[in-house]
Amino acid sequence: MDFTDPRLTSPPPVSLVDVASYLPGEPVGTEYFTQFSRSERMAKNVMFRAPKARHHRGRDETVVDMAERAVAPLVDRHGTQLLPNIDILLTHTQLPDNPVLGAGGELARRLNMNPHYVFDVHNGGCAAFVHMMWLARTIMQTTDARTALIVATQNCAGPVFTQTEIRKLAQAPVPGDGCGVGLLVKDGSAPILDIECRTYPEFAGDMEFSTGSERKYWEPGEGQGCVSFTESKVAKVFARGNRLVPEVAHEVCKRIGVKSQDIDTLVTNQPNRLFLRNWHDALELPAERHPDTFDQCGNLFAAGIPVTLDTENQAGRLRNGSVVLMSAFAHAGDFAGAAAVRWGAAR
Amino acid sequence: MTTSALPALSDIPEGVVPGLLRIENSDREATTPVILEMLRSVYPHDQIFGDYCPVQGYIDCPPRDLYEYLADTRSLEEWTYSLRGFTETEEPGLWESYDRLGPNTKIYTRTVANPDAMTVDYHCAWDQGEHLWMVYLMRVVDAQVVFDKPGSVVLWTNCHHPFYDRNPYQDTAPEGRKVWVGDFWEMFSAGHQLELDNLKAIAEYRASNGLPITPDWMK
Repeated sequence: MDFTDPRLTSPPPVSLVDVASYLPGEPVGTEYFTQFSRSERMAKNVMFRAPKARHHRGRDETVVDMAERAVAPLVDRHGTQLLPNIDILLTHTQLPDNPVLGAGGELARRLNMNPHYVFDVHNGGCAAFVHMMWLARTIMQTTDARTALIVATQNCAGPVFTQTEIRKLAQAPVPGDGCGVGLLVKDGSAPILDIECRTYPEFAGDMEFSTGSERKYWEPGEGQGCVSFTESKVAKVFARGNRLVPEVAHEVCKRIGVKSQDIDTLVTNQPNRLFLRNWHDALELPAERHPDTFDQCGNLFAAGIPVTLDTENQAGRLRNGSVVLMSAFAHAGDFAGAAAVRWGAAR
Repeated sequence: MTTSALPALSDIPEGVVPGLLRIENSDREATTPVILEMLRSVYPHDQIFGDYCPVQGYIDCPPRDLYEYLADTRSLEEWTYSLRGFTETEEPGLWESYDRLGPNTKIYTRTVANPDAMTVDYHCAWDQGEHLWMVYLMRVVDAQVVFDKPGSVVLWTNCHHPFYDRNPYQDTAPEGRKVWVGDFWEMFSAGHQLELDNLKAIAEYRASNGLPITPDWMK
């Protein structure tokens, strides 16, 4: 045996070979929300400055429905044998249709898949796409699994943020629904150059899910469920987000030996315009190298990165061989992740 | 209706002072977004250091001892990067030394210190001691008060006097010198930080080794 064989020491490369996405329904304009705003001034709130449009999933449209539609273009491009041959299925769902069960199993059934590894992962939040890339790569590098499908679904905008009390809030117009998927293969065609995933326990627990009443969400009664931060935490979360996304991005840049200014395309999560501005400023990149879909889709949570990647890729703005850096933070800052990819899915 | 106990701004008609944001005309809901807009991940160097050069730091050393050390002009011989050869001039309190940033460059310093406030202001100038326009404002704060731990916090601010851009005393400059102190303004933030780090290293070494912060040679 040749102990100098690099294959024995360095893990095999894993590539992000394709992305696809799905946006439900017709775009919903901001006027839908402004008619319910409590005051004129609220509508102008800068932190939650609304996008021009967003998509809302239908009341009966399940996460599996959305994922199936997002995956369809991959089947068109890679053939009907793609899905039966997938080894790993990872899903992240913002609002599980069944709160005690993830979508992976049912999605596999619907798509006629037979994966060896199925995980429904919840803690990656808005950085879930990077989190799932990291998890899929780890599984592929330590097992004989060769292919992975990762699915990030944001589906709480329509059902949660249009409730009669919630839609009056300044933050209600910001979220939008959508689903983004990634196809990963154990080869060197579009390699993941590096990934950094960090959990920050000190910031865990600062995001609340409340019903606006004494009721627990599983109990019957009055009150409308919503994700929120206490008002005093908004500035803290904002300052953390300002710091975390560049921090993990810089770490990846350092390890792959690329200056942040030389990154060809930066794609982040997209909670609001201020974060987008601050993050490309922090990485010393012009705004045009930091595309987003905020104005058309709002805050897509975990789906933001793959939806924007797919949008840019379809528009021909991602060049094969270019370095694409993804970076995002989750919740109130308890998780952040960044990944750099040598792009290879240009069309 | 007023909620104030004092007749605040009663000398000025309402609404005539531009840009005034007070809780009476801009409540928290309206002001929070304004403040969030001002928060950035990074700030342009010029925005922070444009007309002011602030540096500050924590030094693990008793504040009174540190103040007394800094209040002696000769301490600059130790912790500054380039001021050397301090001798007192005939004018009491005015010290002459060399700033080795420039060849043959004399610098004059007068230290104005206030033991109650623990402020130490170094009034300096290159080449002449008549008009001391380079002013380094320092303050030593008891860290017990601000950080709830023993030690000192040093605040140091330098203001961008117009003479940094234009030397009005060219006739006192040594012949052939090509540099002017103001040429280094953009480096002041880093340069002052380096000097503050020197001060920290020296004072913490003396404090942790039981040496007086002000050495015997200065007494």
